Parts: sequence; C-alpha cells; structure tokens
Amino acid sequence: MIDVQNLTKRYGEVTAVRGISFTASPGQVTGFLGPNGAGKTTTMRILTGFTPPTSGTAKVAGYDVFDQSMEVRKRVGYLPENVPLYRDMTARGYLMYLGEIRGVRNLRRKADEVLERVGLANRAESRIRTLSKGMRQRVGLAQALLHDPEVLILDEPTIGLDPYQVLELRALVRELGRDHTLLFSTHILSEAEQVCDRVVIINQGQIVAQGSPAELRQELERGGRVLVRVDAPPASVVPVLQGLPGAGSVDVQFDNVVVTPSSPDIDPRPEIARAIVQQGWNLIELRPVAVNLEEIFLELTRQEAAQTDDAQAYATETETAAS
Amino acid sequence: MRAIFAVFKREVGLYFRSPIAYAIAFALLLFLGVLFNGYVVQANSRFPADPTFAPSLLTFLTFLIAPLLTMRLLAEESREGTLEVLMTLPMNESAFIIGKFLAAWFYYTMLLLVSAIYYLILTQIGVPDQGAAFGAYFGAWLYGGAVLAVSMIWSAITEDQVVAAFLGAATILVLYLADVAAIWIAGQGTTSSATADFVRELGLPAHYDATLARGIVRAEDILYFVFMMIGALFITTRIVETRRWRA
Repeated sequence: MIDVQNLTKRYGEVTAVRGISFTASPGQVTGFLGPNGAGKTTTMRILTGFTPPTSGTAKVAGYDVFDQSMEVRKRVGYLPENVPLYRDMTARGYLMYLGEIRGVRNLRRKADEVLERVGLANRAESRIRTLSKGMRQRVGLAQALLHDPEVLILDEPTIGLDPYQVLELRALVRELGRDHTLLFSTHILSEAEQVCDRVVIINQGQIVAQGSPAELRQELERGGRVLVRVDAPPASVVPVLQGLPGAGSVDVQFDNVVVTPSSPDIDPRPEIARAIVQQGWNLIELRPVAVNLEEIFLELTRQEAAQTDDAQAYATETETAAS
Repeated sequence: MRAIFAVFKREVGLYFRSPIAYAIAFALLLFLGVLFNGYVVQANSRFPADPTFAPSLLTFLTFLIAPLLTMRLLAEESREGTLEVLMTLPMNESAFIIGKFLAAWFYYTMLLLVSAIYYLILTQIGVPDQGAAFGAYFGAWLYGGAVLAVSMIWSAITEDQVVAAFLGAATILVLYLADVAAIWIAGQGTTSSATADFVRELGLPAHYDATLARGIVRAEDILYFVFMMIGALFITTRIVETRRWRA
C-alpha cells in the first residue's frame, strides 16, 4: 500500500513535484506515467526514503517515509533508474552484500531463489561487468526482491532493453504485481496500457489524470468522435450527417466519415444510425474513434500547457464549447 | 553493527584485491626498507638505534598514503549511483561511513604491522627502547586513523577521486605543518606566545613527534586523535546526508 498526500518537493527555485496525491493498492500494478522530467523519479526517491519531501506526507506499507524511514526501507524493494551496480562483484556477491546489510535470513538460499526467479541462476558467479544490459536490469530486480518486500518501486525498468527483453520484463512485472504493491514508472504509453491496472499520469510535477487504462479511455471517449462507414460514397454521406442535430463537424478520412459532436455530452450515434437507415444505405460500422493512452496523454499534457499558458482563456474556451 | 560489519568486510576485500593498495604497500615498504638500512648502517655502534624510526616515517608519509586509500570510498559510490541503493537500505549513513572508515584503518594497520619487522630486526642487533617503540607504534596507529578520517571527508564532498586525493593530501600537510606555522608566528613576535602554542596544538606533530613517538603517552594526545576521527566521521556523515536531501 502506498498512500501519497499533497506531496511537494522543491530544489531551491525548482519545484519538481507540486502537491500530488495518489494511492497504490496491493495486488495491483500502478503505472506512473509522464514525460521525462515530470517528477516521477523524484516521487519514487521520496517513497523509498532516499530523499525527504519538502511538504506533504507519504505512507508506504503503513509507515511514514520521513518519520519511520527505516521501517519503510525494510518493506520496500527499489530498482533505481539506470540500475547502479558494483561492476566488480558477481551477481550473487552483490545480493549477498545487500542481504547482509539488510539482515536477510537464510541469505544464501534466498539469493539463489531470486536469481532463479529473474532467470539468472546460470550467471550467478559472473561479474556484473560482463553481464548484458538486460541481465544487469535483472540483477537490479533481484536485489529489489531479495528481502520479500511488500512494496516494489521500479523506476523505468524497461529503459534501454531490446524488444524481447522488454516483453520478458513486462511479463515479470505483471506477475510480481499480483502479490506486491507495485509502482512502476515509464514514459512509454503502450507499456503502461499493457502492464498496469491503474495509471497515474503526471506532468510538470502535477497529476493530470488517474484511473484504470479503461476508465481513462472511457472518460475521453465519452462524447468523443464517432467513426461511420457506409456503403455509399462519403461525398454523399457528409451532407446528410451535417444536417443532424448535435453533429459538430463532419470529416472524411479515407473511406470513412468521422463525426465530432458539438458538445462532449452528446452521443450522436443513435441519430446517425437512424439517418443512414432512412437514406436506405447500409450501415457497415459505427463506433467511437479508438482512443489509446497515447492520445489521452497528449490530450492531457496539452491541456496542462494551455492552462499554464493562459488558464483564463482556456476556461472561457471550454465554457463556450460546453454551452 | 551488522551493517557496519557487512560494509567493512566488502571494503577490506576490495583493498586486498586492489592494485592501488598493493602499489602503496610496495612503495612504502621499499622506501622504509632502503631508509632503514641506511639508518642502521649510520647508527652502527655510534648511537643506539631508535625503534621509532619506521613508525615516525610512516606517519609522515600518511599525507600520501591516506588520501590514496580513502579517495575511492565515497566518491565512487556517488558517481556510480550505487549510493542511491545503499541509502534506501535499512541502514544509517553513519553505519555505512564507519564501515568504510574501519576498512581503510584496517588496511593501514596491516601496513603498520608489516613495518614492525624493523623493530624485530633492531631487537636482534641491539636493545631498542621498548617504551618508545610502544608509544611510536600505538601513536602511529591513532595518527593513521585520524588522517584517514580527515581525508575521507573529501571523498564525500567530491565525486572526482583525483580531486579528493589531492585535497586530502593538502589537508593533511596543513595539519602537519602547523608546527612550522607556530614557529613562524612566534618568530614574528607581534602576538603572544599563546597564539603560537594554540596553532601548534592544532597540528599533528605536537601530538605525535613531540610526545608519543618518544614514548610519552599522554591522554590529551590520544584524545586529540580520537576526537579528530569522531569529528571527521561526523562531518562526513552530515555531508552524505545533505547530498541525499538535495538528490
């Protein structure tokens, strides 16, 4: 369980994280999604007790990250960005070292177990220097798993891996998410969509949206654009649809017609279906234009930019659009 | 304690596998050996051989040895980013820093013990002053701990090992030259001799060459070295902590 309330982190003049609040539940993969420099790493460093927050609170596994830092650290497994490792140590030696500091019981057996779990059992005695990037990433993950933590925090674990390794790692993250509270950051949208049960989108240190990928999609699809396919030339379809109440603009995309409703609250589909049937055409397809996380993300971060540029103008604009 | 020991064990292992540590040991023993040989020949049947020769020389050379032994300790962890993992383990910064310091001191102690061979040689060819020998070796041990702790501060401040070594050497030399500064201040005759004495007492030679190395074991000298170690380790801990707050 991770519970973040109004967390803020300032570095002198720069505010990296501005009053964010979110929770991550056990048995779920929570994706922390945002462009580079959005404040993901800073937030994770606060959650792992590496750096203290400027204000606000964060509880990890029921303990405050600042006041009960040692308790938090005992219960968190952390894979930092870029996976810093001792290159001269063997994979097992590295785990033994960290395990000794942590006071892990049955350390030798435990180290072999996690190496097995991340698929490195056959490279246990190899020096980390000689391991590939993907293998190093897995040593880092093994280190995070060594003490059976309740909470796992992984900072961009798939960065710099080849596509095959990325797939493997995503599968492992999903699997680990079942019995851990797992917070995982990424700037790759499709990755968040595939791996996460919940997504928290962060931009410029603020949370711009959170929910399951499906919820986020629904939110943006509601009153969104509708794609229409009819077995008639689009040129003759457009005027008909333009005449419908609630149809804002009608565009042609290849053989399809895309209708954007005049207000996001209007679902134009019933009207469109009726009109087409009345014309005696065959309706082949009528569906919302698929919105993926990428579009949601771009949409939200664009809104964010608009707000910071000129919040007033943006507010007026949306009001006008809604009425 | 467990964490201190784990860090200590790893760092000692690194010293015994590091070419730099062996190079230091080799250069030091060669240097001591050559000078010792010359000294014994010179002393031969004219004056009694001084058993404090080797440890005193060793303490002088710490301005080169200590920075080389400590430069890596924190600078490397900080540059490689491995500090981030360690600082999210359930371990205090102080445990980590004490473990590293003890490892450096342990390696230094090994060097000091090897140099005890010169004392053994002297016992074969003459009758060295045992009190002076004890004071000199015990003092050299404390002296080493103090300068290692001081030069370790620089390893926490900078991520660049060369810079850390250079500044460490400079700091130790300043502490070593306090004696010279005191003489200069006294020579000016403008201030009271108390100022000169104060400066002298801040330096290393006043607490080693003038006392321990002559077999005079005084509590104040022991406390000087012990406080220097504790103070330097405390400063190092605070520096690492501050770096973390800014991270």
